[in-house]
Amino acid sequence: MNRNIAAGARWIVMIVFAVISLFPIYWMVMSSFRTHEEIFKYTTLSRELFIPVNWTLQNYKDIFLDPSKPFGRYMLNTLFVAVIVTGFGLAVNSMAAFAFAKLRFPFKKILLTLFMSSLVIPYEVIMIPQYLLMRDLDWINSFTALIVPQIVWVFGIFMLVQFFADIPRDILDAARMDGASWMRIYNKIVLPAAVPALITLGIMTFLNQWDSFLWPLVVINEEKKQVIQVAISSFQSLRNISWGKILAATSISSIPILVVFLFLQRYYVQGITMSGVKG
Amino acid sequence: MQRLRFAAYDKQESRAAFLFIIPAFALLAVFIFYPMIQALWISFQNYNLISSHSSFAGMDNYRKLLSDGSFGDSLWHSFYFTLVVLPVQTAISLGLAILVQKKFRGVGFFRTVYFIPVVVSFAIASTIFRLIYNKDYGMLNVILKGIGLPSVDFLSNPDISMLGIIVLCIWRAMGFVMVIFLAGLNNIPESLYEAAHVDGASPIQRFFLITLPLLKRTMAFVVIITTMDALKIFIPIYITTSGGPAGSTSTVVHFIYETAFKQMNMGYAAVAAFLFFFLVLIISIVQLRVFRTDVEY
Repeated sequence: MNRNIAAGARWIVMIVFAVISLFPIYWMVMSSFRTHEEIFKYTTLSRELFIPVNWTLQNYKDIFLDPSKPFGRYMLNTLFVAVIVTGFGLAVNSMAAFAFAKLRFPFKKILLTLFMSSLVIPYEVIMIPQYLLMRDLDWINSFTALIVPQIVWVFGIFMLVQFFADIPRDILDAARMDGASWMRIYNKIVLPAAVPALITLGIMTFLNQWDSFLWPLVVINEEKKQVIQVAISSFQSLRNISWGKILAATSISSIPILVVFLFLQRYYVQGITMSGVKG
Repeated sequence: MQRLRFAAYDKQESRAAFLFIIPAFALLAVFIFYPMIQALWISFQNYNLISSHSSFAGMDNYRKLLSDGSFGDSLWHSFYFTLVVLPVQTAISLGLAILVQKKFRGVGFFRTVYFIPVVVSFAIASTIFRLIYNKDYGMLNVILKGIGLPSVDFLSNPDISMLGIIVLCIWRAMGFVMVIFLAGLNNIPESLYEAAHVDGASPIQRFFLITLPLLKRTMAFVVIITTMDALKIFIPIYITTSGGPAGSTSTVVHFIYETAFKQMNMGYAAVAAFLFFFLVLIISIVQLRVFRTDVEY
């Protein structure tokens, strides 16, 4: 009897938290299909409050067709920046990780410590001089400012170092004997062996870039070059903007990510776990 | 092979290693280390973007900041936020992790569902909650009214505005922390629980005598990263309240952002960033010492 009550309570708690987790997202998507009047119409608990009465795609049409706030453009901007940063980031960070994990060279300890020490520096401290640097390089309002400073990611390097460490040195030495260059070994042996780790790091980098907010807010002032997260936040400061449009914008920029996540969540969760348990 | 090596390192290998490291190192030097030194330099200047001339200010910025009431307030808001989020979020996440640790039908569903808010970006989560919190049309107050509770106004009541931000942050982060706890829980050998069961320990005893002590390392990691992230809270503040109402949600990073990019007072903002950095560093070091552990399992 007692055991049944405990099991029941357990299920109730789990379901309550599931509802709390999903409800804001559900509400966002449902409201994005409502007409402007309808969003403010139902203010009592009723069926209409949770399911749109007149389904409409008008909000989506509006955000994509508004020439003063070209939402499709913002999405492409963000996608472009995120893909480039992810690509270059994987290359640069995995190369450094390979050297630290497998190669023997002088000053390795010192260099490793130097890399590590950068993890202590909070972004907020270097944000101001970074901004001044962008100004001096004349990169303000350009994608270069969004891409180049974001490529190196020390956390990513250390994640890959842990992964590469498992590759036996004997294999690399054997390939050396056969006359392979280190670059070839890296390309043909190390990278293929680390595909799961690269996927994990790739997803994390991409999501970080897709979500990036403070840095674009600071370095991009030109309307056309804005990225998605900042664009969404600026929607709210417009006079008379409808909630439907805001919610259409937030839905369209998070649903693709959610779907991709559902397929690749194993890799993403693995990345968090590695950072938390091994690190 | 008549090549004789006196050096401990293979020359070709060393050269390859440096070539592999150089791109990352160059980027790190230019975009992390150089700005760090620059930040220290700027903090001693009267550096204003508008007047475009800078003059040496010595310790003036530091002195001024320490007696600046609004900086003190923002510091307090960050700490208040952290002091609430840290215990509440950790407890909820640990609870969820324990609920979904054992395999049962549907466990994957619940794990995924609790994690989904993590995938929603902070800016979007803040936007949604801002609309949900709306006093007149927001879903929260409609539901509260519907079940006969008084309405709450998170966005314009200075007494509770920070609570609104806290709820939103916990909503978004609890699944993330849960995943870390899950990994920690899975590292505790099942045999310990079985032994405790044989000895007649109650579930509550098992939690406090086995689970918590053996989770110490995971707990240390969770506490440290939660503290660091919580102290640096910015995006939800910027989007939902912009520090208001009446400055009641202005946190340190919000203060730094406003000072640097709204008032264009870079030097002063750099000082605030530096002091904040040392504060966070000291707190992390203290936490590491508190959690220092010899538990092996």
